[in-house]
Amino acid sequence: MLQIKNLQAGIEDKPILKGIDLTVNGGEVHAIMGPNGSGKSTLASVLAGRDGFDVTGGEALYNDNDLLDLAPEERAREGVFLAFQYPVEIPGVNSAYFLRSAVNAVRKHRGEEELDAMNFLKAVKVKMKELGLGEDFLKRPVNAGFSGGEKKRNEILQMTMLDPRLAILDETDSGLDIDALRIVADGVNRLRRDDNAQVVITHYQRLLDHIVPDFVHVLHDGRIIKSGDKSLALELEEKGYDWLIKEAA
Amino acid sequence: MGNKCGAHTFPYIEAKNKSAKVEHEATTSKIGEDQIFYCNQRGLETQDAVNMIVNGFCKEVFRELPMEFAMEAQKLLDVSLEGSVG
Repeated sequence: MLQIKNLQAGIEDKPILKGIDLTVNGGEVHAIMGPNGSGKSTLASVLAGRDGFDVTGGEALYNDNDLLDLAPEERAREGVFLAFQYPVEIPGVNSAYFLRSAVNAVRKHRGEEELDAMNFLKAVKVKMKELGLGEDFLKRPVNAGFSGGEKKRNEILQMTMLDPRLAILDETDSGLDIDALRIVADGVNRLRRDDNAQVVITHYQRLLDHIVPDFVHVLHDGRIIKSGDKSLALELEEKGYDWLIKEAA
Repeated sequence: MGNKCGAHTFPYIEAKNKSAKVEHEATTSKIGEDQIFYCNQRGLETQDAVNMIVNGFCKEVFRELPMEFAMEAQKLLDVSLEGSVG
């Protein structure tokens, strides 16, 4: 599904990613961990096509096509979803309108019929209930005045409705209490299928108790310095990153 | 008016409300790039995103206006947004 080869990217002249290799297949969950400033969020931004990051080398293939060549909205419609670390507020735009526009943009691209207001509401209400979001939520402006937990649950709601092939979750667990963490993790787990994949960026092993990864990668200074299975996350929790960084040096 | 005229704009805003979010047309930068990227990442075209964001922002303002001004302002906005931003 996703093949990243020797990807190098940075902001202005400052290199951040210094050669990332990563292959993600359908049905897999990959966790990316690493100390602050190691390039985790940059990787997510580059894959989603955020402005301001320059790709200086390597490539990223998504279903055998050049992902980096597509505009951000084309990537989204092709099924790449980024759950934002800091979901953006859009005052005055109600959540139902926003989400229905997004869902229909993606459906149109897939050649599916657009959802009318009735059918959209029916579908979204089921998902909202699963995520513990009250009905007034739809009338509120996108993320404006939401608590941290509500914003993150909104990301998962959008993800659920858009049904992406490749979901990248950028520190979706940060700022969540234990109950919200479980709700968010359950939401992600419900999506897991053989024809989609999740890349979960996190600082904490705690999330990986709920979303059990097939692979764990440690990012440091723009490179993956270690990959393993879920036991690697447990080892990191116990020993920190220093031993790995020394090993890699 | 002939070809020896010019228009000079002196951007100046006096805000008496500490929480006000104001920018003068002449000094304003693009509307929130993060907001546009967020919309793009959800599959929306940039033009649609801009319309949505500007409309939303203005709606918050129009809410404070008397009804007839609000309607007039909304109509003006609909007209002026067509193909003007991108």
